[in-house]
Amino acid sequence: MAPRNESMPRLLLIEDDRETADEIRAELIEHGFDVDWAANGIEGLDMARSGRADAMIVDRLLPGIDGLTIIEALRFEGKGTPVLVLSALGAVDDRVRGLRAGGDDYLTKPFAMVELVARIQALLRRPAEGPDAVLQVGPLKLDLIARTAKRGERSIDLLPREFRLLEYMMRRKDQMLTRAMLLEEVWNYKFVPETNLVDVHMGRLRRKVDQPPEPPMIHNVRGMGFVIRAPG
Amino acid sequence: MVAGMFAIFIVLLFAVVYWRTERYLATRADGVITMQAQTLESVPPQQWSSVLSQFLQQNPLAVEYAGLFTSDGKRISGNLEQVPADLQIDGPAQRSQFTVGPGSAQEVVQGIARRLPNGNVAVIGRKTIDIAEIVAETLALGIIPALCLSIAAGAILSIRAQRRVGEVNERVQRIIAGDLRQRLPTRGGDDPFDKLASIVNMMLTNIESLIEEIAGVGDDIAHDLRTPLTRVRARLERGREHAATLEELGSAVDHAIAGLDQSLAIVTALLRIAEIEHARRLEGFGQIPLIPLLHEIGDLYEPIAEDKGVALRVDAPGEAIVHGDRDLLFEAVANLVDNAVKFTPEGGRIELVLLHRKGEAVIRVNDTGPGISESEIKAVTKRFYRSDKSRGSKGLGLGLSLVAAIVKLHNFHLTITPGTVSGCSAEIICPQIH
Repeated sequence: MAPRNESMPRLLLIEDDRETADEIRAELIEHGFDVDWAANGIEGLDMARSGRADAMIVDRLLPGIDGLTIIEALRFEGKGTPVLVLSALGAVDDRVRGLRAGGDDYLTKPFAMVELVARIQALLRRPAEGPDAVLQVGPLKLDLIARTAKRGERSIDLLPREFRLLEYMMRRKDQMLTRAMLLEEVWNYKFVPETNLVDVHMGRLRRKVDQPPEPPMIHNVRGMGFVIRAPG
Repeated sequence: MVAGMFAIFIVLLFAVVYWRTERYLATRADGVITMQAQTLESVPPQQWSSVLSQFLQQNPLAVEYAGLFTSDGKRISGNLEQVPADLQIDGPAQRSQFTVGPGSAQEVVQGIARRLPNGNVAVIGRKTIDIAEIVAETLALGIIPALCLSIAAGAILSIRAQRRVGEVNERVQRIIAGDLRQRLPTRGGDDPFDKLASIVNMMLTNIESLIEEIAGVGDDIAHDLRTPLTRVRARLERGREHAATLEELGSAVDHAIAGLDQSLAIVTALLRIAEIEHARRLEGFGQIPLIPLLHEIGDLYEPIAEDKGVALRVDAPGEAIVHGDRDLLFEAVANLVDNAVKFTPEGGRIELVLLHRKGEAVIRVNDTGPGISESEIKAVTKRFYRSDKSRGSKGLGLGLSLVAAIVKLHNFHLTITPGTVSGCSAEIICPQIH
């Protein structure tokens, strides 16, 4: 086991299926996380109370105690640790229930590992919510009051949806955002349609934001999602 | 128990018949003897005895008793020994006790007594009880058979009913055990049992065809899942056998993942349709303004349409608010637009329109694509149907059945018709609320 490094974010995984847990741990460790694992709910609750996890991943269907009950208990005790709920139950009602119990995000099994990692990273790096009137990433400046965008001196003409998309990405700069996350958050669309909606909209946005010879700021990470980064 | 009630009813009926008969006869008797008393009074005294005898002789049944007495009760003529004690002299005709015959028997008679001008008392009496007794005897004779008959009939009907219930029960047990082809026995009669049995049989036929449909869908699902899963397997095997570089293997694995994703999407979509059909989403219902919803969808699909060279126009004037679930409605309409975008070739046109018709809000998506034939329209909302043209293209074919499920949950109405000139026109008709 790797020596504990104080700068590595610490995660608690409560998952009863050993193989799934192994896969998740391996992936997360590879991405620089420190992962503690509990195989059942009771043990998980104990570790959650005593440990100092920066974020938790809780499977809903656990032997002994329902994952949501764990989250509710923690919230009741005042623990605000961000929680990502994993579940084989994919109905929207289940999702709503999971979030209402105190979960911060909800992933249905089976999921792509990339989604899990992206969402954990999003949970850990809370977005720059703030009453800022202006968001800035590198040369890109977004005026939230005037609803205008500029890259350096060049002003960018954005449609309302493009503005929303850019705002969402800029608040989460340097973070990988999956297509699912974007659909859910920007368009409030919980069910992935068949056409490549996000790609087309992102394509438009990129053409407006990244005009050669400017170095690109919006990147499409193949197979995973999109990220906005200051150039250089 | 019914037989018992029936028997009680018969007894009551007979009692009433007896009582009414007796009363009637009594009243008639009263009338007769009153008339005869008046006749007597109008006749001179020396004729009284003979008139009384006449009464007795004329019509043996009309009057049974008549007697003439002195003012202190001594018998002058007639067949009565004394003036009945309870008979009111000069009173109306009434029931009284006559002492008659050699044995001084008491008889209940309708009697009338009149004091004649010279002080004599004339008594006339007419029996009714006899007749009433005859009626009573007859009724009594009849009541026993009636009772027996009713009990017997009750018993027979009850046994028959129980036997039928037993038959039905036995069939039902078989149906519950799983044999849906069974039907309840009917005898072609008109009795309530037969009617009930026919209704239940219709229900069973319905259930049988629904289950067949589901079973058929199960087959379809199995088939539609086997295809991508088989491809996945084949790809992986081939990759393992033939891949020369890590990259080639990586590519094979990528394809395999895509195939698995497709299979999972099928499963998810089916679960969602089931969830919607089971109406578990009714808590999410609220008031939804349609105009912003339609504009958002238009917004969402406009770039894709443009990329494809298809014109997408949103025409949503006025205001319309419906009762529903925003996410589901969004998905339903988005699905229709998605379909339109998928099937309309370059240079075509798609319209997303809000109409107001007869107080209802109509969301219409029409396109200038290849359209849809009449026979396809009905099938197209069944799960998993994909028109043959589209089988080749990517996708699940579940879009329209999802739309149908959502529309049904909302109690709206979905129609799909060929477009006016070409293509397809899909409409969701919703009652508005303000």
